[in-house]
Amino acid sequence: MTGEIVGFWCLSALLVSSALAVVLTKNLFHSVLWLALALTGTAGVFLLLDAEFLAAVQLLLYAGGIVTVVVFAIVVTEKLVGERISQTSRRITSGAVASAALAWLIVSAVMERPLATGRRPMAVDLTKDIGETVLTRFVLPFELLAVLMLTGLLSAIYFARPEE
Amino acid sequence: MMTGDGTLALAALLLHALGFLTLAIVAPLRRLGRPAAFVSIACAVGSLVAAVLAWQQHMGGAVSRLVWEWLPSQGQALTTVGILADSDSTVMLSLVALVACLVQVYSLSYLSDEPAPSFGRYYTYQSLFAFSMMGLVLAPNLAQLFICWELVGVSSYLLIGFWYRKPSAARAAVKAFWITKAGDVGLLIGIVLLWRLAGTFDLTELRVLVENGALPVAGLSLITFCLYLGAAGKSAQFPMHVWLPDAMEGPTPVSALIHAATMVTAGVYLLVRTEWLFALTPDVLLIVAWIGALTALMAAVLACVQDDIKRVLAYSTVSQLGYMMTAIGAGFASAGFFHLLTHGLFKALLFLGAGAMIHAVHSNDLPDMGGLARRMPQTAIVFLIGTLSLAGIPLFGGFLSKEEVLGAVWAGGLGGPFVLLMIVAFLTAFYMFRVVFLAFSGRPPAHAHAHPHDPPAAMALPLWILAALSMAVGIYFTFTHPETEFTSPGWLMPTAVGSALAGIVLAWLTYERRTIDAASLAGAFGPIRDAALRRFWIDDIFEGIYTAALLGFSRVIGWLDRYIVDGVLNVVSSWTLTSGDDLRTLQTGRAQDYVYGVAVGLLILLLWARWALA
Amino acid sequence: MGLQAYLTLAAIVFSIGLFGVVTRRNTIGILLGIELMLNSVNINLVAFSRFGGDTTGMVFAVFTICITVVEAALGLAIVILLFRVRRTVTADHLDLLKG
Repeated sequence: MTGEIVGFWCLSALLVSSALAVVLTKNLFHSVLWLALALTGTAGVFLLLDAEFLAAVQLLLYAGGIVTVVVFAIVVTEKLVGERISQTSRRITSGAVASAALAWLIVSAVMERPLATGRRPMAVDLTKDIGETVLTRFVLPFELLAVLMLTGLLSAIYFARPEE
Repeated sequence: MMTGDGTLALAALLLHALGFLTLAIVAPLRRLGRPAAFVSIACAVGSLVAAVLAWQQHMGGAVSRLVWEWLPSQGQALTTVGILADSDSTVMLSLVALVACLVQVYSLSYLSDEPAPSFGRYYTYQSLFAFSMMGLVLAPNLAQLFICWELVGVSSYLLIGFWYRKPSAARAAVKAFWITKAGDVGLLIGIVLLWRLAGTFDLTELRVLVENGALPVAGLSLITFCLYLGAAGKSAQFPMHVWLPDAMEGPTPVSALIHAATMVTAGVYLLVRTEWLFALTPDVLLIVAWIGALTALMAAVLACVQDDIKRVLAYSTVSQLGYMMTAIGAGFASAGFFHLLTHGLFKALLFLGAGAMIHAVHSNDLPDMGGLARRMPQTAIVFLIGTLSLAGIPLFGGFLSKEEVLGAVWAGGLGGPFVLLMIVAFLTAFYMFRVVFLAFSGRPPAHAHAHPHDPPAAMALPLWILAALSMAVGIYFTFTHPETEFTSPGWLMPTAVGSALAGIVLAWLTYERRTIDAASLAGAFGPIRDAALRRFWIDDIFEGIYTAALLGFSRVIGWLDRYIVDGVLNVVSSWTLTSGDDLRTLQTGRAQDYVYGVAVGLLILLLWARWALA
Repeated sequence: MGLQAYLTLAAIVFSIGLFGVVTRRNTIGILLGIELMLNSVNINLVAFSRFGGDTTGMVFAVFTICITVVEAALGLAIVILLFRVRRTVTADHLDLLKG
């Protein structure tokens, strides 16, 4: 039992259970908190995969940023409504069946073919490598991404502006 | 069999075509009226000369065949166009040319009060008719014959309906066209079936096939019967005779040309031309004979009760056509053909004479005429000549031809038709002399206001020519009996002449001497007379069948349209609407449901990819 | 653990996220489901990148995270705007497209 395997199974359990909790909890606020846990789990998975930079980005942006924004949104909408928003879901059975089927399909497709079991050698300092790749090979998408984020920022501000 | 030169016959044909085309295309000439008439008459005279010369050439049995390839086909032509001149066709050609020419001259005076454009139109139609009739007579194959047959029908429609503003004339023209068309369908079917059997339209080739016994006899009866149907339509055999009396709505010269000498004889001519084919199917010939005899009798009865002089002559023509058909049915087409030729002469004469009488008293009706012999002596003489020819008295035109018809029917062993024809001979003499006595002798009726006089030269000349020819033919044949294929029994001639004389005597006693009261004579035949006045209800039967069939058919079609055609459309549209309503429930408007739809779709795609494609 | 394990994990998380999107009544709940789905995609990308030896996958994952952030921000802005107009965040009530 290598540490990797143990770590993988622990993280998987964490991830899957918190994901289930996200979609099944009735209280929306609790749901967000479970999401934060799930995202942290994912960061752990990234660490397992030697992607430290990505783990950091995940924690910063996802677990930190998005969760915060969602919480604020809930607070804003819940406050105005004045009550806890209940989560009586419909179409549970058919949804469950469809999702399960999809999961099973993908998993069985994956299991069929022999995929790589050994990790290929990669650069030691992945962060540096990623940085270099972004600014050389993928500089155009990088710049476009910046424009996109700016646009998103402006649009979000515009949408959520106070009423006149 | 010598081969003659066909150019004269061709010239006769083409001169009329030239006349027609000139008048049809050069509209200003046509609208001038009298000049157009002169053009047409010039062509007619030229055509007559050419026709008579052609007849002289082919009298002895020479045959000329001038054909040009027309419809191409693999190997040889499908059909040709041209002329086939032999003794039969050239003599018929001469008759057509003669009557056409004389009628055109006669019309100069008869139709003189027509406005000029209509006058020109009349002569255009006359030229067209003459051309079509000649094309029919000279046709070397059945295809050209059929085309000219139809053209003749069209020209007759145009001529009968010449005064088209008169509703009765327009109706009569349409009626003639429809009824002959019904027969023509039979003719077309017969021609096509014959082609299928024999592989050719050409008359000469068909004749060779028949003489060599190469034509299969199976199914031939149907073919000849279909051909007979076409002839029956044009030659007004029962029950397709109904158009002929109505066709008297056209101008009298037209009746003289078309309904005496030429168009109605086309049917008889067809049977004469193809007698070698009909000889192979004696059962059809029997039908021809019986129908011919019955038609003759029925028409003769109908002629006895008519007051309109043209109607009398029309029924008389039907009756005589029946005579010709009976002779053909007996198997001796030459006798029928001979009667056709003489009948052409004296019937045209009678019609033109009647035209003179009508022109004089401005009425068609016998009650309006009386004592005309004193005022119109020339007309009286020629009309009497014509009547005696029709009655079949020796020394006059129709004498020998009638004898031959009766002899042929007897020799053919058809006892029933023979008796009927004898009765018809009696009746023919009776009704014609009824006309003569009522119109020419006695006193003019009280209400007559016109001053009748003999016709002017343009009308009188054709009358005298026809009368002279009729007498010449009569005298010639009284003394020169041409040899026939049969021998008539000795008692035949006296009986026939006696029967005619009896008819004359009865008419004289009734209408001249007034010893027998006409009304009581009519009363003696009570129910027959009433039926005859209603034309034996044949017209009504036709109308009833036609209306019932048409209405019934339209009801069926209406039902089909409403319930099946519209029904299908209505069902389709209602399905569309219902399914649209049902499908609309899918559009809930909630994005979440749409995502669900996408997910399910993706699932299905993946499932399919996994199992169907792998 | 081989590539298959990571891919399986990602697939399971993806389908859980899909379940959430399809089932949740609250719009924000739906957005959370979307977050899970995008998350699982990232796991996939990084796993392929690691086992394939190419950093392209990781770069792609970085970009994906950034875009997801933008999307979440805008999505929530729309939810707030909708709430202001329609006074509800229940997805069932947002059926103006109903036809």
